[in-house]
Formats: sequence, C-alpha cells, structure tokens
Amino acid sequence: MKFYLRRIAFYVITVWAAVSLNFLLPRMMPGDPAAIMIGKLRRASGGRELSPQVIEDIYALLGADKNTSPWDQYLAYWGRLLHGDLGLSSTRYPYPVVELIGNALPWTLFMVGTATVISFILGIVGGAWVGWRRGTWLDHLVPATALLQSIPYFWLALVLVAVFSVQLGWLPIVGAYDPFEFPSGPEWSWDFFVSALQHAFLPALTIVISSIGGWLLGMRNMMVSTMSEDFVVTAEAKGLRPSRIRDRYAARNAAIPSLAGFSIALAFVVAGSIVTEQVFSYPGIGKLMIQSVQGLDYTLMQGVFLVITLTVLAANFLMDLLYGVIDPRVRSHG
Amino acid sequence: MADRFAGIRYLMPRWSAKLGAGLVIVGLITLFGIVAPFFTADPRDSSNKGLLPPSPEHLLGTTKLGYDVLAQLATGTRGSLYVGLLGGLSAMLLAIVFGILAGYFGGWLDEVLMLATNIMLVIPGLPLVMVIAAYVQNTEGLGDFARSSTLVALILGVTGWAGSAVVLRAQARSLRTREYVAAARVAGERGLRIIFVEIIPNLVPLIAAQLIFGVMAAVLGEAGLSYLGLGPTNSITLGTMLNDAQTGQAVGSHAWWWFIPPGAMIALLGTGLALVNFAIDEIVNPKLRLAPQAARQQRRATKAGKGVAGGGAYA
Amino acid sequence: MKKISLALAATAVALSLTLAACTSPAPAPSGSAASSAPAMAATLRVWAGSTTPITVDFNPFHVDTALYGTYGPIYEPLFFFNQLSSDAPVPMIGQSYNYSADGKTITITIKPGLKWSDGQALTADDVAFTMGYGPNKTDKMISATATDDTTIVLKYSSPQFTAASQLLGSTMIVPRHVWSKIDNYMKETNDNPVGSGAYVVKTTSDASYTFTANPNYRDPVPITNVQFLGIDSNQSGQDLLSTGQIDWTGMFIANPDSVTGTGAIGTMNQQQDPTVMVTCADASKGCKGDQTDVAVRQALNVAIDRSQLAEKAWVNLVGKANPAFVLLPRDQKWLTDSSLAESPQTANAAQAGQILEAAGYTKDDKGFYAKNGKEISLDLFSPDGWTDYNDAAKLIAEQAGKAGIKITARTVSEAEYWTPVTDGDFQLAMYGLTQSVVADPFSNYDQYFFGKSTAKVGDAPVRGQNYSRYSNAVVNAAVEAAAATDDEATKKAEYAKIQAQIAIDLPYIPVVLNASQAFFNTKNFTGWPTDANLYADPLPYLSVAPAIVLLNLKPVQ
Repeated sequence: MKFYLRRIAFYVITVWAAVSLNFLLPRMMPGDPAAIMIGKLRRASGGRELSPQVIEDIYALLGADKNTSPWDQYLAYWGRLLHGDLGLSSTRYPYPVVELIGNALPWTLFMVGTATVISFILGIVGGAWVGWRRGTWLDHLVPATALLQSIPYFWLALVLVAVFSVQLGWLPIVGAYDPFEFPSGPEWSWDFFVSALQHAFLPALTIVISSIGGWLLGMRNMMVSTMSEDFVVTAEAKGLRPSRIRDRYAARNAAIPSLAGFSIALAFVVAGSIVTEQVFSYPGIGKLMIQSVQGLDYTLMQGVFLVITLTVLAANFLMDLLYGVIDPRVRSHG
Repeated sequence: MADRFAGIRYLMPRWSAKLGAGLVIVGLITLFGIVAPFFTADPRDSSNKGLLPPSPEHLLGTTKLGYDVLAQLATGTRGSLYVGLLGGLSAMLLAIVFGILAGYFGGWLDEVLMLATNIMLVIPGLPLVMVIAAYVQNTEGLGDFARSSTLVALILGVTGWAGSAVVLRAQARSLRTREYVAAARVAGERGLRIIFVEIIPNLVPLIAAQLIFGVMAAVLGEAGLSYLGLGPTNSITLGTMLNDAQTGQAVGSHAWWWFIPPGAMIALLGTGLALVNFAIDEIVNPKLRLAPQAARQQRRATKAGKGVAGGGAYA
Repeated sequence: MKKISLALAATAVALSLTLAACTSPAPAPSGSAASSAPAMAATLRVWAGSTTPITVDFNPFHVDTALYGTYGPIYEPLFFFNQLSSDAPVPMIGQSYNYSADGKTITITIKPGLKWSDGQALTADDVAFTMGYGPNKTDKMISATATDDTTIVLKYSSPQFTAASQLLGSTMIVPRHVWSKIDNYMKETNDNPVGSGAYVVKTTSDASYTFTANPNYRDPVPITNVQFLGIDSNQSGQDLLSTGQIDWTGMFIANPDSVTGTGAIGTMNQQQDPTVMVTCADASKGCKGDQTDVAVRQALNVAIDRSQLAEKAWVNLVGKANPAFVLLPRDQKWLTDSSLAESPQTANAAQAGQILEAAGYTKDDKGFYAKNGKEISLDLFSPDGWTDYNDAAKLIAEQAGKAGIKITARTVSEAEYWTPVTDGDFQLAMYGLTQSVVADPFSNYDQYFFGKSTAKVGDAPVRGQNYSRYSNAVVNAAVEAAAATDDEATKKAEYAKIQAQIAIDLPYIPVVLNASQAFFNTKNFTGWPTDANLYADPLPYLSVAPAIVLLNLKPVQ
C-alpha cells in the first residue's frame, strides 16, 4: 500500500508543478494577449481605425487581470482549470482552447497510441528473440538500431512523403481522413475507418521506425543479462524446453525494466509525434502545439502543454500500477 | 605500478568492431566539422547561381540563395557539434549534481532531488522545450543571445538531464555501500571529497555513456527545434540547414543535394555515437559482452563435436 | 500476456487492412473521382491558405479569423473593385452610386428584388443598418438612411472621395433581421451565415468546409459546390496540386513548371504589392539609428542589387518596384515623372559612396563608412519563416557591405516583429505594403506617407500604417488636398508633389513588387482569368474577387 501512496503523492506533486509552471511562464512575458490581438486586427483590416468598442470588447475578453495580486491570479487560474476553462485561443479567436484540444486529442491517441503499441510490441518481441539468439549473426542487427534512433523524425517523414505519397502516389499526403470523400467530417462507418487507417499509416510508420530501436535494444540487452542469471541456468539444468525457458523465465523477467523505462520512451514518442504530425498535417495535439508556438497563442500553448503533460502522467501512472502487479518486489522496496 | 594501470585498463572499452566503427565515424565527422570550414568556400557567399546540382566546383551543389552546400555542411556540422557538446555537457553536469548527490547522501536530500528529477522525467521534453524556447526567445533585452545556438544548447541541456540522473543515482547508491567508500568515510573524509575522489572516478564509463546520449539528444533536439522554427537563427547548424531546405522548398524543387546531406550527417553522427555507447555498455555490463561470446564459443564447440550442451549427446 | 496477444492480433488486423487498402484499388485522387462520378464534377476544391483544424467562423466582422469565402461568396459588398484594372466598379448588391460635389454625401441605389439566402427580402434598410453597425460606424459618419426600398443616403462630416473602395467595395452587407439580434458581434462565430452571395454553407468539419449554390441568388451559379480545405504547409499544398487533388490555390511555388508541366494546371502571376525596407526615418519622432540620415537611405537605395534579389530570393517571379509607389501599368496616368518609373536594378557602390561622402562620411580602415569616428551600423530584421524576406535580408546585408554600409540581418519571431514595427522601435525591417485596390495610388500615400496619422515612437499610428514615422509638410498638405477633390488634374498636381518628395526621402526603400502566384485546374474548369481578360484577380485568398471568379467558371463535362 505504501508504494501506491508514495506514487500517488508523487503524481499529485508533479501535477501541481506542471500547472504552476504553466501559470508562471506567460506571466514572465512582455506584452499582453489583448494588445497582440488588437495589433493583428488592425493589420487585418488594412490600417482602418478600430472603433473604441472593438478595443473595449477585446480587452474585456482577453485582457490581463492587472489589478489583482499574483496570488489571487494563481488561485483564479486553478479555479478556472478545475472548471475545465482553459481560456480563449487568440489564433482561433473566439474558440475556447478546451474545444480545440477536445477535437485534436482523439486523433493523437489513435495514431500515436497505435504506433506506440506496435513499436513497443515489435521491439519487445524482436528484442527477446535477438537476445535469445545471442552470439549469432543477429547480433549484427543491434548496431542497425543505432541508425534508426539517430534519424531525425521529421526528415524521415519528409522523405517518406516524397517517396510514397508524391512519387508513387500509394498513400495520402496530408490529414487524418479523406476530406473529399467525407466533406462533413468524421462519421461512424467502415469506409471512414479505412480512410482513417490509410491516413494514419505513414505517420505511424515514421514513429514506429524511429522508436522501435530503443525498445529492441533495451529488451535485447536485458534478455542477454537475464539469460546468464542463476534461475535461468537452473531452469536449463532442469531440462525445461527452450521455448518455455525463453518465454516464461527469461523474456518475462527481462521485460520488466522495459516497462519501467516506458516513461522515458513515451517522452521520446511524444516529442517525435509532435514533429511527425506537423509534416503530415495530422490534426492532432502536436500540430496544435506547433501552431500555438508559431502564432504565439499563449493560452493555447498553455492548454496543450498541460494536456500533454497530464496524458503522459496518466500513462505513467497506469504503467506504475501495472508494474506493481507484475513485479511484487517494487511494492515492498519502493 | 602495473596495478595502477590495470584499473584504468579495466575501465577502457575493449576493442571491438562496433567501437572501432563508432570512433572512426565520430572522429571523421568531428574532423570534418573542425577542419573543413577552413578549406571550403564562405558558407554565406551568394554569388553563385542558386540550386545548382552537384558539380566539380560545388561538390554538393548550391542552395536557393547560391550558398555552397558543402561549405554549409562543414560549418553546420561544426555548429551542431557545438550545440551537441554544450547541451550534452550541461545535461551531464546537472545529472551528476542531481543523480550522484541524491544517490550518495540519501535521506531527505535524495527524496527532494529525486522528486525534482522524476518531475523532469515525466514532463514531456519537447513540448517543454518548445514552451520554454518560445517564452525565452521572446523575452526582451536578450538581443542576439535570444536566438543563438548557445541559448538553444542550454535550453536543451536544462531540460534533458533527468534520465541520466536516474541512472547515475542508482549506481552511486550501490557504490556508497562498497567497503572502500565506507573506509574513506570512517577515515573522516568529507562527503564531497569522497564523491570526487572515490565515486565519480568509478562512474566514468557510465558518465561517458550519459554524455554521449546527451550529445545525441542535443543534436537531434536542435534539429527538431529548428524544423519547428525555434532553432538558432544567427548561426549555421545542421538543423538550420534542414530548416532552410524545408522553407526553401528543397523537396518540391527536387534539390536532394540540399536536403539529404544534413539529415544524413545527423543520422551518421548519431549512429557513430550510439556505436561507441554500445561498447561502453559492454564495460558497464560485462554480461552483454561475455554472454554472446560464451554462446558463440559453445556453438562452435558443439559444431566441432565437443558440445557439452548438445542435447544430451553424452547421455 | 493475454493482453499483449490480443493487442498483437488487433495490430495484425489493422496492418493487413491498411495494406489491403493500399494495394487493391489504388486510392483514387484527382481526375478519376471527377470522371467516375459526374455529380461530383461540379465540386471545385480550393486551398485558400486555411490551416487545420478549421474552426468555423463566418462572421464578416472577424477580419482576422473569418474563414476564406466569407467575403464575396457568402457576404457581398455593394460593388466589386477590380484591383487589376482601371475600369469602373462592377455592381454586386449595388447598382449605381454618386457623390455630392463636396464629397460628403453618397447616394447609393441597389438592385431591386434581391433576397437573402434565407428567402427574406434584401432592401436598402439592410444596407443602411450595415453602414451604421459595429465597426463600420466611424466618427466621421453623420447618418445612414434608407430613403426607399432601393436607395440609401450616407452623410459624412468630411469628403469621402477616396473612401469609395472601402465603403462600397469592402463593407460586407449583413441582414438586419439577423444582426440586430446579436448582442456582441465580436463573440459571434456565425456558423450558419445568412448572406446575399452566390453560396451558402453546406457542411463544415475540422479538415474542410463546403459551400453550395445559394438557391435564392439573383443569377445562375455554374459551380454547384466549392470545398475549402485546410492544409498546413506549402509543400503539402504543392503536392496536392501536382497530384490533382486540389483545383485552385494561391501560393508561392519556386519552380512553377514542376506543377504546370502536365498541362492540367494553369498559373497566373500578378505583381502588385511593393516589398520594401521600411526605415524608422524621423529622428524628431524618436527614431534612433543611422537610417534617420536621409543620405544613408539614399545610399542604401543605390547600393542594393535588385536584380540579384529578384533572382535569388524570389526566383525571378517578382516585378520591378518604383519609388513613386504607383502600380504600373495600371496607374500610368498618375506617374508624374518618368524617371521614377523604376528603382535602380543593379548595385552602384560608387554612387552610394559619393552620396555618403557628400554627406560627410568617410571610409574607415575596415572598409565601412563612418562619420565622426562612428561606423554606420544598421539592424535589418524579418519574421522567421518568411523565407523570401529572410533571404532578401541576408542578401541585402551582403550587398550593402560591399558598398561600405554595415547591415546585420536577423530574423525574429512574428510577435517580436510586429510589436517593434508598429511601435517604431526598429531601424530597418523587411515589410510588405498593400497596394491600393483601385487604379489610383491615393491609399498608398495616405496609408504609408501621411505624417499626420503617424505617432511618436512608442505608440502605434492612430490610423493607417505609417510605421516609418515619416512626416513631410509638403506631402501632408498634398495628401489632404487630394482627398478633398474629385478633379483629376488637381489630384495629379498634388501627386506630383508627393512623388517628388518621397522618391528623395525614401522612408520606404522599394525592393521589388511581390509575386502572387495563382494556380488553377484548367482541365476540369474553364473560364479562369487570363492576361487578356483580367476580370478579377484569381487569388482565392482575396476578398470578393474569388466570388467573381467562381461565377465566371464552367465545369468541363
């Protein structure tokens, strides 16, 4: 029980830290969103004088609460967060940030989530196999993983698009589904699902190619180490079938650290998927993040950052729980 | 006397094909980055025609503005190595501070430092870097520093140390219980002195591995930031080259000579560094080297008919 | 373990599905869709520059965030002012208008029997309501009255001769019965717009939105459906265009031949908007730096190699700028001195040196000009990712260096660009002026050179975009005099004064006339504007003009 309490306390503190960081950053910035918005409007209307009412309206909607103390602002910020209010986007004015994120998140979970699971499984299974067949030609595959890990995500993605989508025309170029066939957006149909899969294929492939090396290498190394542990040697001495030794004894124990390293790998995947989504115009959370950074839409930037952080924390928390179940030792040692 | 070197030799990586290949790759690229800029043309000389394909005058062609790609590649490699080293070193220093102090002293210091480390570890890196870069780079009063490669490297370092700290902490914790450390403590040595004299020298391979990881991460991180338009703007790196190629529609113009070399250079550098890391891994964890060797010997022996585990041939 | 095997199975299914989908009938883009489904042939696909996710907003008062197509296809102004020609404005809702002799009263007649897309009648009452609504109401307006069903009288406190294109050509008429009920027009996203244009909104999603013909429109609508897509990069846009998946777009493509080579895609490149180096010119307004010395600006003007800039930064797709800021040949009659028809196209370092030496500068041992021991040192910036500006700035710095003028080129984020430019906290910046939309350069002079609407450094200009802080008594008087007259000869005399002054003072150093490339599918649709028949600018991101183009197109059967 102590293990879980400690972990929960840790996550609570981490959430607090992330939210506070999010609160602090924009307040260290010069200028305020309302002024940026007014400047934009003025330019967009070709230098036409803005009526005082327009300016007043914008300050009412976006203006910083300059008369309250930072502490009150901080409390108010928490209050708004707990009500699910992340403010209004300035690049997508007057859309609420929550709505933008709500539309983008499912796509990221679908594409990045699937890619991560595929990459994880292929990496673990492949790593176990390469580790099991240690000392054979398969060892030469190991350095190849180094190459996979070193290719910049976006560069790989651009090359894949240029070859498979533009030159060969096999796969779609942009988006999450075919907007020509489905002009009114997502629908629950088989055709739509196929279209979504087609569109997710290349971005997911990019993520799998770039991230599989890490899983494979980690698993292979653990497998090699585990194979020389006493309990495996004992199992061999007992004359157990090799496949049983491989699957039940070695691989199972070797996979545990891979699960523990999930958080680090997940961060890698999140980073890569942001860039990948940009190349493929994939309407997920990563692209939203990039747009907010490029448009200096601080409310959107904060909101997306918070959601990414919370999602990663949730994934880690689930992994922690799972880890505690698989490996009872951590529950007692912490 | 010989004994003194035995320890060092133990810490040196065993020679292997992987290590050799890695060192050669990294060495050649470093040499290219250091020496080549002196021999190539001015990377910002626009007097050539734009988008020339490779030719004897321009071995890797020219960019849209007429810059020589080879010259850009040489200067860009130098720039990326600088970002990589600075980013990697700052990450390593932070990892040593957080990881080793936490691991050695334990107790509440460990709790606090590890909490900070774990927070850094789970808060996703690139979004954090993007947010920080967007804020920092728009802060007034930084002048040229705001978009310099030094600042980008520091941001990458400050956000990229947590993984290494966890690894170092675990190792420092186990070293702490070794007899010679206990002896030093009993002899009244101060904590920091023990760390510097007893602990850190024993962690050199591990620290080196983490440094190499850090360098790789910083080079790749810089490329990613540049692609997103948050990279350094006033110096040439491989990332800014890729960004120029991307915004200059190199792919659409089929100017592969502009687009492929910087990406390939990053991939190659990363591969070289990773190969060196494999060799270091094999020192840190000798099983990685010995087990495949043993398996290989065993198999060879089996083939030669002297197998011991040949499915009960002797039974 | 069970979980993992399940996931594996799911993955395998997903993979095989994807592969099957890829290999069997190749995903049919472009032409095949059009030929196999004739009903779909009338859908024209446009990328006007929207990025995903599309956020629905058809509020014509959201000048910054309203979706493309809001201006023209959905909402219409009274008249269409074709910026490519000097012809009279084309009637849309309006039929005719005339100014009173003093220019303070405008009487407008609209077409009879018009309907809104919801079937209600569109009358003069709606027009009068619009003119007095929200941001349209300025402090110069006295009244907007409908005198009968088709007549509106607008009264102002000052002459409005020069405001015609804005009042009549870019004020979108909205229905009173809808907008009088909206309490805050800034918050409204107007998802189901009721307009008078040829189109109504059919569907919207996060990736695209589709318009369909407005059944209540006064004329036949030849293209039934128009789909606007969200695409996030020029590269993707180019890919979709060259694979035939979009029919119409306006964007910069460095090598247009790669797209038009197949013969299905036509292109048109209009050069209109001057790209300049804006200088913070007036020290008395608080500008700092060497560029406040007119000799430095004049030297820079001859030191830069515009032909090299055009070749390298714009792949020779741009036009030649002129220091009189008239658009040639459209505004030919307003050019008062033929020597101002073109800025120097090649660098003349010797002449730059003479100008500086005459002003008391001498070359120091590093080869840079200096005065009183202080080198000229200028800072030139442009926004990140505006590749043409970034490239031009790099080249200008290099060229100026050859003439002994030290310039440091740097790029900044967009926010860091606009704030200093607006507030005057800069030395040199790459900048794009918006060309006057009518065949009269007045708005160029009024927007960018009129000293009375600019402000001290630290404040934004009250009106217009005179970011250079330029203020010249002769120019100011001439702009005011030109605004108050409708007489061509008088106007021309005033423009002569303005052109002579600004060509010497050079608060904006002209660089090129920026390219604006349009690409359109001529295989599936005919009737696009041609060089011989420039009835509208074929750029889908403009306001109003796309509506005119759409009404002139015909699907190929």
